[in-house]
Amino acid sequence: MPSVPVVAAVGCTEIASERRDCNARDLLTDALLDLLADAGMDGLGAVEHGLASYESDHFNMQMTLGAILHDTIGMTPKPSLRVEGGGATGALALRTAWAHIQSGLCDSVLVYGVEKNGRGVSSQTANQLFALSADVDWETAIGGTYTSFYAAMMRAHMAQYGTREEHFAHVAARNRANAAFNPIAQKPMDISIDDVLRSRPVADPYKLLDCSLLSDGAACLLLASEAWAREHVPTFRTRPPVFFTGTGCGTDTMRLGDRHPHITNFRAKQQAAQAAYAMAGIRDPLREIDVAELYDSYSGVEIQAVEDLGWVGRGEGGKTVAAGAFDLDGILPVNPSGGLLGRGAPVGATGILQAIEVTQQLWGLVDERRQVPGAKRGLADTHAGIASISVVNIFERRD
Amino acid sequence: MSDKVSSLIDITERAGCADDAWGDFRGFERITLELKQRYHYSLGRQSRFFIELENRRFFATACASCGRVYAPPRPLCPACLQPTTWRELSGEGSLETWSALHFSPGTNADVAALQTPYVLAYALLDGASTLFPHLLRAEGESLRQGMRLRVAYNEGPVSHPIHLMHFAPA
Repeated sequence: MPSVPVVAAVGCTEIASERRDCNARDLLTDALLDLLADAGMDGLGAVEHGLASYESDHFNMQMTLGAILHDTIGMTPKPSLRVEGGGATGALALRTAWAHIQSGLCDSVLVYGVEKNGRGVSSQTANQLFALSADVDWETAIGGTYTSFYAAMMRAHMAQYGTREEHFAHVAARNRANAAFNPIAQKPMDISIDDVLRSRPVADPYKLLDCSLLSDGAACLLLASEAWAREHVPTFRTRPPVFFTGTGCGTDTMRLGDRHPHITNFRAKQQAAQAAYAMAGIRDPLREIDVAELYDSYSGVEIQAVEDLGWVGRGEGGKTVAAGAFDLDGILPVNPSGGLLGRGAPVGATGILQAIEVTQQLWGLVDERRQVPGAKRGLADTHAGIASISVVNIFERRD
Repeated sequence: MSDKVSSLIDITERAGCADDAWGDFRGFERITLELKQRYHYSLGRQSRFFIELENRRFFATACASCGRVYAPPRPLCPACLQPTTWRELSGEGSLETWSALHFSPGTNADVAALQTPYVLAYALLDGASTLFPHLLRAEGESLRQGMRLRVAYNEGPVSHPIHLMHFAPA
């Protein structure tokens, strides 16, 4: 009988701007060994299925990387699948693993994500490659970049709701401050709102310190039925079980302009959240969720997200964020890990890293300076493009 | 093609630490690879839009079922799943939102030739239901939401036919 899956074990590398000493296979190796130590397992013999999560064949100059990763960690001849959905890839992979277990197809899936986005290519090449994931006929060819699409959205949000640059600068400063308490974080920084406002413009209104990081890193998460985890994962009984209780996904048009007149917010995220809340039995998310990792690809996105997740009214995100409601000592701490701005964003691993942070928060195992005391339920929000694909995953500790 | 840009380093320094499981693998080599591709890329059913730019005419597509007018054109109305028909627009419209890019990805020769900052604008063209993205050349003018714009046409040759036009203040 299929059951709500549990997070049986997690593992990851430190996130870095560049790991010259490692290729994608090496990074995954390190994340896997970290997971085995976390699980107290000495091998993957009992694990039934692999699920590979990486975004870009271009960054790696390697197609079928999923099969190579599967081979690298000795998962052959077991079944494998590569999931791809831009920035949402890791979260989609977890959602796919959830469905594999819920369907009864298997009782255990190792989800592994990796990316070498750091400095393997120049920033200009990286932007060109990311721009290939926009509409190449209409957006990429005119020199559009994702930063500029997000920036145009934020300008519309500012015009419609009075959101100010200081509001999203708060996110840029806070998430980098949170990263100081996360030993795997790529770039913790002690910066002021003025530092953010004075950083050089990239695509206005976004400035350098409003932008998230390009990263190298890997993460894996072992998702299983509770019975399988009890039988095969020695550490499972030593920690409160964390269940993967809800998952939602929504989509929107690729091009921002096709969303007219709704260009201030993410419709896909609204859809994903409502589906995940319904599955997890959440009616009042602001009160029923204790900790969340939001997809802060740009600082202002967190402001849009708290609106689209239904935590504050439309247009109230800026003021609420700037008032500290989502700081570590706020009503719902957001991005205690440092988020994409501070911890880093190796794309294929990002959604998995978010789920790991939420799980470890629910286990009560993170650095006490970023631990949300008594957290029982957490949310991970991940999206692709300008939320052309959006995924919300919900995890719950049931003692 | 590869150029060796760094040689094995640090092997003697870091190998052999008794407690280092990866001691045998501490050296690494980093090389430079290049991958250049040329695509014969079809613009498919969108092609007439680009062909008409050469004639200094701006076309959208319209759905006879729901009345939506798509600019950029969609051959298929995604709401009705019906083929659309071509409809010429005046090329005038209003500015809805924009961003000034201070960092150019240099996507193609025309983008690489742009001076930064350059403006990516989303315009609601008269008669269209969607916003059309393109470069706005309005040197010295302060931009404001709702300001009137027009499609301006460029002479070729261009790296991509979308560069046969840009936006300018009306």
